[in-house]
Amino acid sequence: MEAQGLPDLSARRSRILGDGDRRGLILSTTSTVVVLAALLAVFLLAPGSGQVRHTFFNPADMWQAFVGNPKAGYYSVGEALWLNIRMFVAAEILILIAALIVAVIRQSTGPVLLPLRVVATVYVDVARGVPLILVIFAIGFGVPALQLRGISTQSAAVYGVAALVFSYSAYVSEVYRAGLNSVHRSQVAAARSLGLSGWASMRYVILPQAVRTIIPPLLNDFISLQKDTALVGLLGAIEANKAAEIYSDTVFNYSSYTVAAILFLLLTIPLARFTDHLIARDRARRLAGAGQ
Amino acid sequence: MTMRRMLIAAAVAALGTGLAACGSTNAGSGVTSSGSTASAAAASCTYAGVQKELYTKGALTVGTDKPAYPPWFEDNNPANGKGYESAVAYAVAKQLGFKSSQVKWAYEPFNDSYAPGPKKFDFDINEISVSPARATAVTFSNSYYDVQQALVALKGTPIVTKHTPAELKTYIFGDQVGTTSLAFINSAIQPTQTPKVYETLNDVKQALQTHQIAAFVTDTPTAQYISSSEIPHSVMVAQFPSTGEHYGLLFGKGDPLVGCVNKALATLKANGTLSALTTKYLQIYTSVPTIKP
Repeated sequence: MEAQGLPDLSARRSRILGDGDRRGLILSTTSTVVVLAALLAVFLLAPGSGQVRHTFFNPADMWQAFVGNPKAGYYSVGEALWLNIRMFVAAEILILIAALIVAVIRQSTGPVLLPLRVVATVYVDVARGVPLILVIFAIGFGVPALQLRGISTQSAAVYGVAALVFSYSAYVSEVYRAGLNSVHRSQVAAARSLGLSGWASMRYVILPQAVRTIIPPLLNDFISLQKDTALVGLLGAIEANKAAEIYSDTVFNYSSYTVAAILFLLLTIPLARFTDHLIARDRARRLAGAGQ
Repeated sequence: MTMRRMLIAAAVAALGTGLAACGSTNAGSGVTSSGSTASAAAASCTYAGVQKELYTKGALTVGTDKPAYPPWFEDNNPANGKGYESAVAYAVAKQLGFKSSQVKWAYEPFNDSYAPGPKKFDFDINEISVSPARATAVTFSNSYYDVQQALVALKGTPIVTKHTPAELKTYIFGDQVGTTSLAFINSAIQPTQTPKVYETLNDVKQALQTHQIAAFVTDTPTAQYISSSEIPHSVMVAQFPSTGEHYGLLFGKGDPLVGCVNKALATLKANGTLSALTTKYLQIYTSVPTIKP
């Protein structure tokens, strides 16, 4: 897809480094090194540097926190991350489905569907307006208190995922809606004039175009979702952040949080790079399309 | 919040301390749980003598968490002098020559109390258990209360009658994050299912009432208070044998004030004040059965 006369795909890289000529490269490298060195020097020369390094970056504590030792009162942060990953994947799938349903309902125009539209609108307003942490508390402590057979005896992770789905579906449905709105009305008209039903034109014409537009903002929300799985620790589930907190409270050293932060970065950075890749690819495609 | 947090991690402590030795001052000193070694600098333990060691001149600033739970505090108000820890803080202040009005209270969340850097209190009193690992990060006073752990459950649930060591392993426990009670569950009871870990003791109590956990472990006075006054239909099943655990006042690492405070605590112990306060506020029920974990 590399049509001639268009900026090549490495344009993204040159934007990060500044203009691509040799002198620019040297200047940008030098300024980067100087800034990083200055920050490092401030960190190392600060009066409390030794103490901070010991409290936040002690390799022995970081290793202990990573592998864990339940008999000493703390759990493996690395193992706990597995719970974050499972919650994230489960929540993401459910959110994609629930948000799409909400978005399609809100976009519907039929008079019969008005009550559903009202419900969907109220839901989006409420779910986006209430802090996620309160939703987690309400579901995690409220549902078990109802003492419903089968529903009130789930694990903390299940309530946590339910709260994440409740809150995030509202955000993501708005992303979907923006995507649906971005497809020009003439597309619907064209699809209908070809004899497609309302549903078929949504399924085969509108959605495919909408989804391509919204993939970057969707992934943006999911990076955020990955981190927010840490809030489920409030319900007693031992996920990475909770395991780190237990470690630090047990031995009075915060290095475990650094371990959790690194592990979350290892999760989110690949997703962030993937998002960039998709944006670049989409941009290239559109430009290529325009050139033809 | 009951912060009986502790230790056990002797191996970790040794490792951590060894690494800490590069470039920091707390190389080996952390392994004694009493901070009395830092007392050498204290000239005289009078109101005038301790002034230069105070966070705020003319006032003794004492930190604790919110909410402040009974029976350690009453009415969530540390400044009323009621509750064991509030009373101990005022007794220590009196020994050092402070009037009650010269005692200031500072809000100090437990998670922040051991952060590096200057403290915003002279000492923190918050049911914090002394451990060698913790003593590498902060300085502790000598014990002002020796702690035993106890088991709280709802009346009529299986654990109330079935709690042999083997049976105890089969239940789902819950506890507050970072507490020594949680460490006790893992090290002594060793349940087959991972305990649930909550932010505050209030969350733990809620989880017990909604049957998300079968029981929780906390120090005997707190267990006594919760089962008798807070959660209807709950019962203190039994207490566990002492592990030598005790609560200490928390100071910034190497704070010289700990010398005078330890002297004050020794006086309060010798003249019977501490045991009188224990009787008054902690209602130790000697009839509580002790079971093996």
